Amino acid sequence: MATSTKKILVVDDEDDVRIYLSRLFQEHGFLVSCAGNGEEALRAVEKERPDLITLDLSMPETSGAGFYRNIRSRPDLSSIPVVLVTGVTGPGGSRDTEHFFSTRSQVPPPNGFIAKPIDREEMIALARKLTGTAVAGRAAN
Amino acid sequence: MSAISPDESAIDLASLGFSCTQLFDEVPCWISIQDRDHNVIKASRKLIADFGEHRLTKCYSLYKGRTEPCEECVVARTFEDGKDHTSQQMLFDKRGLPHDVLVTTRPLRSDCGEIVAVMKALADISSEKELAGRLRDSLLRFHNLFDHAPCFITVQDQKLRILEANERFKVSFGESFGRHCYEMYKRRPDPCPVCPVAETFADGKVHTSEEILVDNQGREVHVLVYTAPMREITGEITSVMEMATDVTEIRTLQNKLADLGQLVGGITHNAKNILEGLRGGVYVVNLGFRDNKQEDIRTGWDMVQRNVGRLSAVILDMLYCARERSPRRLPLSPPKLIQEVAALFASRAAEFRIKLELQADEPLEILGEPKDIHSLISNLITNAIDACNADQDEQKTHRVTVRAYHDKDDTVIEVEDDGVGMDSATRNALFKGMVSTKGNSGTGLGLLMSQKVATEHGGSIKVASELGKGSVFTVRLPVRQPDTTST
Repeated sequence: MATSTKKILVVDDEDDVRIYLSRLFQEHGFLVSCAGNGEEALRAVEKERPDLITLDLSMPETSGAGFYRNIRSRPDLSSIPVVLVTGVTGPGGSRDTEHFFSTRSQVPPPNGFIAKPIDREEMIALARKLTGTAVAGRAAN
Repeated sequence: MSAISPDESAIDLASLGFSCTQLFDEVPCWISIQDRDHNVIKASRKLIADFGEHRLTKCYSLYKGRTEPCEECVVARTFEDGKDHTSQQMLFDKRGLPHDVLVTTRPLRSDCGEIVAVMKALADISSEKELAGRLRDSLLRFHNLFDHAPCFITVQDQKLRILEANERFKVSFGESFGRHCYEMYKRRPDPCPVCPVAETFADGKVHTSEEILVDNQGREVHVLVYTAPMREITGEITSVMEMATDVTEIRTLQNKLADLGQLVGGITHNAKNILEGLRGGVYVVNLGFRDNKQEDIRTGWDMVQRNVGRLSAVILDMLYCARERSPRRLPLSPPKLIQEVAALFASRAAEFRIKLELQADEPLEILGEPKDIHSLISNLITNAIDACNADQDEQKTHRVTVRAYHDKDDTVIEVEDDGVGMDSATRNALFKGMVSTKGNSGTGLGLLMSQKVATEHGGSIKVASELGKGSVFTVRLPVRQPDTTST
């Protein structure tokens, strides 16, 4: 039974959200690295090949959306699952973002959505599912 | 009395048996003949019927029930000057009912030219007078409506010259007869490209538009315009009425509401992040308590404190923006103020290797609320430092310069940086309260607050910026403060 600890890359411009999600994922057996903007995120993805990326779309300018489009268009990176963290303030909340993606065929949709304020259980369940892990971050066999 | 000569028409009245006397009697009018002593010598049958027996009666008794002659007696005047005269009189018939009459007198001369009597014709003008009265009332009412209607009304001819204007219009735009509407309403030398008045002349229909006018104080007035054709009896449109209702206040409120909506959106966005920060902090602190890990407790608690601070700042900013109050007017020294505030930022600037410089004219004084001016300068310096930090160029030593100087009637406080700068879209959105180009630092409300401070002190803030080069924020405060009224 192969065991490997899964790596998650947390991309968010808010310092405290990065700290929060890092501790959360660490508590549940994941290795975590962080990036504060699209450029840093790209460098981190190339260097570390994480098993999952959480991405905040509401980062200033279009750095989040740009990063997302970028990795989706690169064959070596496009298979990494991405969870979009939305703090979108539209009336539909993250439903608006989901709709946005489902109606735009050029950009493949992310593998999951989660809205702020983040439900921790939902986030961990999503992370486990997308990295193929059971409990405590070990690979499912 | 000269005999009435038979007239030349087909019918010869005399041959029909009508004498002059009979004709006189049958006249369906009030006619009398008087002598110099006001005696009524002869009266038409109608007059006798309505005013009573005339023989041996003085006219002033017969017509007015008086015991002595009237002061202004047209009969007397005719006796004097031998001319016809008219006058309006109030007479009373035999039942005592009043009649408004028009009196016309004519001298009757003997063969030798002497005026021996005066003929007096009385025409009942009661109904005419009543009509005249009603017409006057009507006109007055019309003028009241026209002048005091709560909108601007003008009537223009085909050449767009103003034929009539109501009082409201005159007060706001000036006296305008004969001037063109585009001159008076808009201070234009030529007709407006889209003219509802012209359209109404063309098709005879009501047209509407929204316009921005300029009153005689140079102020902008937003109006809703209606134009209606004014037709002659023939149906031809000879003039067009233009009615303009002032909606400036409504538009101002609408704009404020829109800005407020955006502001609330910005605040909500910020608040969510603060909330996440607090939740995260609580979570991490709890991990620390659970496992007895000091590091987690420390980290988590720092997160909580940071975000409580951010929340306080957001709430204070919101309260500041929402508050309508008049600040105090204390004498302040801008050079001293910028020194004080800059001192607070000295270590932060040094940490980021930014040169913080001050330049000030002395002496310089303004009247204002110390806390507010302090906040304003603080906000601008914070932004300048952040702009320098956002500049990716690691090699560059950035500089933030804070100036205070005198310029004509204003005291100017200026903060210049050579950081990232802004494009025009960001510049325009800057004072709307939701732009925070610095991620989680700053509340996004700072500039809105600074602008409020500036306007409350009778001044303004302007920004000049170039992407990649830097920005300059210039605050102008009048040396003479306006009266402290609530804003």
